[in-house]
Amino acid sequence: MLVGPSRLELSELSGRLSYTARDLAQRARRRLTSQQKTQLMVLTPDFTARPVISFQHVWKRYPTGTEALRDVNLVVPEGDFVFLVGPSGAGKSTLVRLLIREEKPTKGKIFVEGVELGRMKRRQLPFYRRKVGLVFQDFKLLPNLTIYENVAFALRVHGQPDAFIRTRVAEALDTVGLSGKELTYPANLSGGEQQRVAIARALVHAPSMIIADEPTGNLDPATAWEIMQLFMRINARGATVVMATHNREIVDLLRRRVVAIDAGQIARDDRSGRYHDDSSKSQIRAQ
Amino acid sequence: MTILRNLRFALNSAWQSFWRNLAVSLAAVVSITLILILAGVNLLVGHAFSQVLDGFRDKVSVMSINVADDTPLTSVYAFQQQLQGDPRVATVRFVTKEEALAEFVRDPNNAVLSQQIQGNPLDAKLEVRVRSLNDVAAIDSMARQWPGVDPTDPTNYQGEFVTRMLQLSQWLGFAGIGLMAILVIVSVVIVMNTIRTAVYHRRKEIEVMKLVGATEWFVRGPFVLEGIMTGVIAAAIALSLLVISYPPAVSRFSADITFIPLTYDPTFISSLARDLLAGGALLGALGSYIGVRRFVRL
Ligand SMILES: Nc1ncnc2c1ncn2[C@@H]1O[C@H](COP(=O)(O)OP(=O)(O)O)[C@@H](O)[C@H]1O
Ligand SMILES: [Mg+2]
Repeated sequence: MLVGPSRLELSELSGRLSYTARDLAQRARRRLTSQQKTQLMVLTPDFTARPVISFQHVWKRYPTGTEALRDVNLVVPEGDFVFLVGPSGAGKSTLVRLLIREEKPTKGKIFVEGVELGRMKRRQLPFYRRKVGLVFQDFKLLPNLTIYENVAFALRVHGQPDAFIRTRVAEALDTVGLSGKELTYPANLSGGEQQRVAIARALVHAPSMIIADEPTGNLDPATAWEIMQLFMRINARGATVVMATHNREIVDLLRRRVVAIDAGQIARDDRSGRYHDDSSKSQIRAQ
Repeated sequence: MTILRNLRFALNSAWQSFWRNLAVSLAAVVSITLILILAGVNLLVGHAFSQVLDGFRDKVSVMSINVADDTPLTSVYAFQQQLQGDPRVATVRFVTKEEALAEFVRDPNNAVLSQQIQGNPLDAKLEVRVRSLNDVAAIDSMARQWPGVDPTDPTNYQGEFVTRMLQLSQWLGFAGIGLMAILVIVSVVIVMNTIRTAVYHRRKEIEVMKLVGATEWFVRGPFVLEGIMTGVIAAAIALSLLVISYPPAVSRFSADITFIPLTYDPTFISSLARDLLAGGALLGALGSYIGVRRFVRL
């Protein structure tokens, strides 16, 4: 994930958890025709590659009887950036919870990196979660820990050695632009800064996938934009990003893949879409 | 290495949690201490009683079969052989009339009585040591059917007394086990609730831990250690109080109730220490394990 010698060190330590932009570019080059090679190289997600995430006819009904997801089919290739949009109560958070196996689907299958989540043993679940970085609307920082310890927390939970933790936390805080705030406590930071800490914590173990549920929901527009830039940077370095969001301005500005959910169903899946359906202007439709 | 680091993390968390909820932690320590003192007293009383009982047992398991004066010696030897062959019998000793009298006279308690004895009114006897107290009755009825027994005073077996004592020791055993069971349940519940408080204070941390990929044991570890800490601290306090008060309690008891031969047994202290400390640790671990079960599950 992060550049420099530590990347090597990490892949030695914890296997291949992340994809660099270079990996993706190489793959993209391989499938280009000679004619295409003369065109400008653009880094795009590789749809022919093995999908990182795949939902197959997924239904989710809560014990209360609410049908939160209905027959959801979704394929996310490596390195993709997906916005999940839709009105409140549409089922975005439910999709996220299924993706991190906080909930199990009532029907259907979810594959992540070729493994079916429903068949994963409880014993294996922690190791799956270690491949994922999570960011939430409410940050979920621990108020009694310093910024450093909050970011280090994920690695401590994984049982990593102190020296390794020091390097990784320094890099992660540098990535989110919070070097120097190590000894501060979350309460003394602004909302945007707190979310940066949360992002640093989600990055620090170099996950191949970042999943965010309304990460800018509590932030003012300017701050939200900064946070979004951060996610774009992380995605450019190779991580797959799935983000549920309400933020129309940002979605419309970035023109990334938009999966619109309405009443538990996928209503629209645009390669470079807008928050609201706008068929006349949409360039590519992916189905 | 990872295990050591995880252990360090768990110890740190447990220690912090113990101090953060000091009032609740101390309340738990005090409650568990009282419970362990009760348990310790129960163990001590049980031990003392079995000491006393062993003394009685030793006396009761030796039974005299009185031999009628006109029984031929061959018949006595034959019966002695038969008894010796019985698996329930440990030893058989034949005491002649003369030996019986000599023994009687030797006993200083009989000094006055032996002055007045004329001739030898005592029977010859077979002294049978029975392996198990439960079999004394069977040997007794066997002896009573033997033709050579003195019909007026067949044996010195006190069936009533032996049965009573067996029953008493059995009931005391049951009562002790029952009391222990109650104490175990109460202390597990106390630890459970203490740990629930700790869980409540750390619910956010638990949530984050699970999200970043903690294993169930990683989440559980600090709480189980906190439970063990509570149990062991309580056991140490209970043990010191018991060790301090055990000798004076024994001497006070034997001064007041002289007919029960209770003595101070220093060797029991080490087994009491082992039982209390292990018990405290186990109760703490069990209570906290049950207490966090629901919150740990991924
Ligand atoms: N834990 C739950 N138990 C019962 N119903 C739930 C639960 N979580 C969400 N729901 C319901 O499922 C639907 C989808 O919710 P959610 O996934 O949170 O939507 P969104 O994140 O898009 O706002 C809603 O009707 C919500 O009330
Ligand atoms: Mg939501």
